[in-house]
Amino acid sequence: MMNLPLVLRGSARPFVLVGGGQVAARKLLTLLKAGAQVQLIAPELHADIAACAGNPLLSIEQRPASLTETFDSGSLVVLATDNHALNKQLAINARKAGCLVCRCDETEDNDFIFPAVIDRSPLLVSISTSGASPALTRHVRQRLEAFLPQEYRDLGAFAERLRGQIKQQLAAPLRAGFWRRWIGSLAPELILARQAERAEAVTAELLNGDVEEQGEVYLVGAGPGDPDLLTFRALRLIQSADVVFYDRLVNPLILDFIHPQAERFYVGKAKSDHAVPQEGINQLLVDAARSGKKVLRLKGGDPFIFGRGGEEIEELAAAGIPFQVVPGITAASGCAAYAGIPLTHRDHAQSVRFVTGHLKNGTCDLPWQELVHPGQTLVIYMGLSGLPHICAQLMAAGMEKTTPVALVEKGTLPDQKVHVSTLEDMPDYIAGRTIQAPTLTIVGSVVSLHERLKWR
Amino acid sequence: MHPPILNQMLSSVPDDSPLQPGEVALIGAGPGDPGLLTVRALRLLAQADTVIYDRLVGAGIMALLPPQCQTIYVGKAAGDHVLPQEEINQLLVRLARTGKRIVRLKGGDPYIFGRGGEEIEDLRHAGLSYRVIPGITAASGCATYAGIPLTHRDHAQSCTLVTGHLKKDGELDLNWQALAQPGQTLVFYMGVNSTVVITENLTAAGLAAETPVAVIERGTTAQQRVLRSTLDDLPRLVAREDIRPPSLLIIGSVTALAYDEFQPVVQESVAC
Repeated sequence: MMNLPLVLRGSARPFVLVGGGQVAARKLLTLLKAGAQVQLIAPELHADIAACAGNPLLSIEQRPASLTETFDSGSLVVLATDNHALNKQLAINARKAGCLVCRCDETEDNDFIFPAVIDRSPLLVSISTSGASPALTRHVRQRLEAFLPQEYRDLGAFAERLRGQIKQQLAAPLRAGFWRRWIGSLAPELILARQAERAEAVTAELLNGDVEEQGEVYLVGAGPGDPDLLTFRALRLIQSADVVFYDRLVNPLILDFIHPQAERFYVGKAKSDHAVPQEGINQLLVDAARSGKKVLRLKGGDPFIFGRGGEEIEELAAAGIPFQVVPGITAASGCAAYAGIPLTHRDHAQSVRFVTGHLKNGTCDLPWQELVHPGQTLVIYMGLSGLPHICAQLMAAGMEKTTPVALVEKGTLPDQKVHVSTLEDMPDYIAGRTIQAPTLTIVGSVVSLHERLKWR
Repeated sequence: MHPPILNQMLSSVPDDSPLQPGEVALIGAGPGDPGLLTVRALRLLAQADTVIYDRLVGAGIMALLPPQCQTIYVGKAAGDHVLPQEEINQLLVRLARTGKRIVRLKGGDPYIFGRGGEEIEDLRHAGLSYRVIPGITAASGCATYAGIPLTHRDHAQSCTLVTGHLKKDGELDLNWQALAQPGQTLVFYMGVNSTVVITENLTAAGLAAETPVAVIERGTTAQQRVLRSTLDDLPRLVAREDIRPPSLLIIGSVTALAYDEFQPVVQESVAC
């Protein structure tokens, strides 16, 4: 590493910026934002520069820079003209005066460079590839941006305030230990979830030494299967959990994101394979949270759409355990997009109804009459084994027997299959085939769009 | 961040083909909170030359775009159609034909009240390639952030998503009889200006006047407001509290479950 990242206070030294184009404009905005004093020399000004003209930190000399330009020692010089010979000569002049130089046109001739910055002030993350690849810098920056939600500003500001308080309240030898406990506590995650008051309470407890720390449960939707359909909020909580309870519909690739030291438990949820019954799951969540852990309950799809999330949080609330719920892409939405079947469409459906086709005692009890409406798409979750029964009931309730039906097998996964038939023919169609769960059934005229809109 | 994540994020997954020149990715950006963007959405955004977005895509998400990426705003607020739908469709075709990598970024989910089907149909007609990436739909995002399960063993065995967008004659072409049946949760998108029609029709079809309802304004964002009331009070509630789009209406007994004290909600007020 031949570069040394330092963080410079914006107002520490005056800057001289030579150039008036787009590159200079970008540097100017960065400098002014950091509170730097800038002397800008250029014959013509980019609109973004002209717009800064009233800023008291900025003085503009609207003239061409000369080859004999001189610089005050101690200033930092940024050369951003499109004239290489001029930039080269000005760099020589500036260094003679003892200035550090940044040339925007030449990566090899720089004393300092501007790294890419993710600004969550007071938190700053700077990224540089030492000039090797601006594209790689952008790539890394963008990924990190998504991992650092805007609420990191609040986290930084909270920590900054707390620092003053800790200095007064705790003797020096105790501080490092406090900060370790604090950063590992629920407080940072609560701030990111915009719950400053609860974060204050957790922090106060830590400060008072009440170490009977309460854990928290994260009820997180893992989406329909494709691991890339996880949300960033889900990903962050998956990574921060101490203990994880997951069920069968969660893609094993998603489990790879769990922290290696976290305990993980499979709690079943295949149809007749409840590794742990629902009441047992709730008790496990409560017990783990009471022991002070960050508990992740990871469910396929969305916890509040046929995910029994409502029942689980009821138990948690009754036990006084705090929780967060994170929505996931529900199977209807994921399968529709990946199968090329819009669930609503101007010419086909003004509403969409989600029902579960889960069988009880070999039959499923749905309000069939209500489900029959030509302008509505019907989505049936968990309905594979009951599908012949469902098709028969819908026809008996008056739905056209030619209504198109799509059965999406392993939706959003690489081996997704879309089976299209009609209400009348679907039972025979599936009878002759081996179809693997999970499946989702879509009934309605939107299914006729599949042939035209499919893309994978 | 531990290594598997970094690998996942920094290298492309084998089956994840990059966005091609001339291809359009129609992407759901979710309901507002940038944390609800999917990993795939962000990966494709990073490859875009041009992003075409509408009003429901928040500033927090736009901030994630690469700085060199061109952005085109096409409106889409009620009464603020910067571009009519047909012109949006044509714009997508035109831009894709120049060989650019295009992302069409929409609030929510493109195939649930997102008119994604119409946009894709025009692309297909023009022989262009496309892909569709789902987003968290408003029903799911807003319900979760308001602490309202859309289905629940004791309350709702099904959930119906409905557009509340009035037709030109001021009517809604819906099966009100079916919507008024118990045991389901109703979610109206774009319904904040149609609450009179909704309440009248549901009541006339037999849904009890005291059925609990919730209105969620700017759901999942830091400005989220959750207001609860009953069906017969819904139009007054909307007027009294000056509720504006984007808002979502949830009707059904699940809205009386109130577990939102633990949800990331900044401002909460309860009516009635």
